[in-house]
Amino acid sequence: MIICENLHKSYRTGHGRHEVLKGINLRVDRGERVAVLGQNGAGKSTLIKQIGGVELPDRGRVIRGMSISWPLGFNGGFQGSLTGYDNARFIARIYGLGYKDTKTFIEDFTELGSALANPVKTYSSGMRFRLAFALSLAIEFDCYLIDEVIIVGDQNFQHKCVHELFEKRSDRAMVVASHDMTTIRELCNRAVIIRDGKVIEFDTVDEAIEVYSTPPHE
Amino acid sequence: MPSLRKGWTIQTRVIGALMLRELTTRFGRENIGFLWIMVEPLLFALLVGFLWRALKGPEEYGVNIVAFVVSGYIPLVLFRSCVQRGVNIFTANGSLLYHRQVKILDLVLVRFLIELIGHMMAYLFVGLSLFAFGMFPAPYDLSYLLLGWFYYAFFTLSVTMIVAPLSEFSEVLEKIIPVITYITIPFSGAFYLVGSLYPAAATVVLYAPLVHGMEMMRYGIFGPSINPQFDYVYPIAFSLPLLAIGLLLCRVVRRRLVIE
Repeated sequence: MIICENLHKSYRTGHGRHEVLKGINLRVDRGERVAVLGQNGAGKSTLIKQIGGVELPDRGRVIRGMSISWPLGFNGGFQGSLTGYDNARFIARIYGLGYKDTKTFIEDFTELGSALANPVKTYSSGMRFRLAFALSLAIEFDCYLIDEVIIVGDQNFQHKCVHELFEKRSDRAMVVASHDMTTIRELCNRAVIIRDGKVIEFDTVDEAIEVYSTPPHE
Repeated sequence: MPSLRKGWTIQTRVIGALMLRELTTRFGRENIGFLWIMVEPLLFALLVGFLWRALKGPEEYGVNIVAFVVSGYIPLVLFRSCVQRGVNIFTANGSLLYHRQVKILDLVLVRFLIELIGHMMAYLFVGLSLFAFGMFPAPYDLSYLLLGWFYYAFFTLSVTMIVAPLSEFSEVLEKIIPVITYITIPFSGAFYLVGSLYPAAATVVLYAPLVHGMEMMRYGIFGPSINPQFDYVYPIAFSLPLLAIGLLLCRVVRRRLVIE
């Protein structure tokens, strides 16, 4: 499982500090697919970065009882000036994977073809996500962190994602930040809202989406 | 113990991968590829060496002048490159920190190791080439040459370890680094022998750890005729606390690091 205990995180701004997370408590168990909902700037990405250990909290701690992917999203994790292949090779190396199998898998899964030999900075956000997702599948994490992503692509790619994630890896956990309610309904079996730097829990995904979609009245 | 060994395996794996990645990013795979790392120090040293030869004649302090300049200049360029490349190392490599097993110390260590290997290769290459033309002696005592490199490199690493986190705190540092590295030149021992200075000046420069390393290297190459002046304990006693402060600063800066 993953346990976030009283996470606080603030950033320096022009005038003083802005506290984004004000005491987050969250537990994610094996097999849970948790959607994190929230307005822009509510702290979804910030929370995912703390869980992934990309940034460190001011206070509180994250207990990681299972292997967690790096936050998969539009940016981060790749070196823009290197090709898709070189990035894959680097990531395979640091996670202790054989490059040959990894290479075959990502060629197969991403369908990026010759684009894999181009620098990642020339990729569209969809292409980046495909590569990141393919690599993280090759590494076999217990929990996938997904930041602001709509599973983009054609029918075939969507089908593959569903197959790899839901059929072959139905026991894996996920933490997903997204604005796309369709994706969230499809992917997740639990949802929370981040508001005022705290987590609000709900019994069902639909309930969370309903509360989130209703604008708060003053 | 097994967890310690596992941690060690992961860190060496990460450092290896980071080094290969850095070499690919910086030098590409075209033509001579990673051998470029030794080209800059090599050209620098040879040009300055031959400039001195033209200006001052064939010998300095009783040894070949080109050998003398080259042996001082390449380590100095190592120090300068490491300090300069230490600036903003964490922000520039932020995307690597997405992978939890990459620690910020790895980033500093990798930059340092690449510079060290590059400059040592350049040193070896220039030494052998000049030797072939009779302008560089066979080392008098190889162990002192290596020991000197170790002392010199250790101090360089300590300074890099401080510069890297400090540059994240303040942009002023980046601006004054060229001045600092320039002022370092007289305190690097590159262009004189301590034994030939006025006693007062010798006392002053021996406060600089780099000078001890340099004198050791020169003793290892040219032998006792150059009257080397160095201490074994002082440079380490100077560098170790620096390194400790650097590690502490790295810890502090890791907490504050904002990663896109």
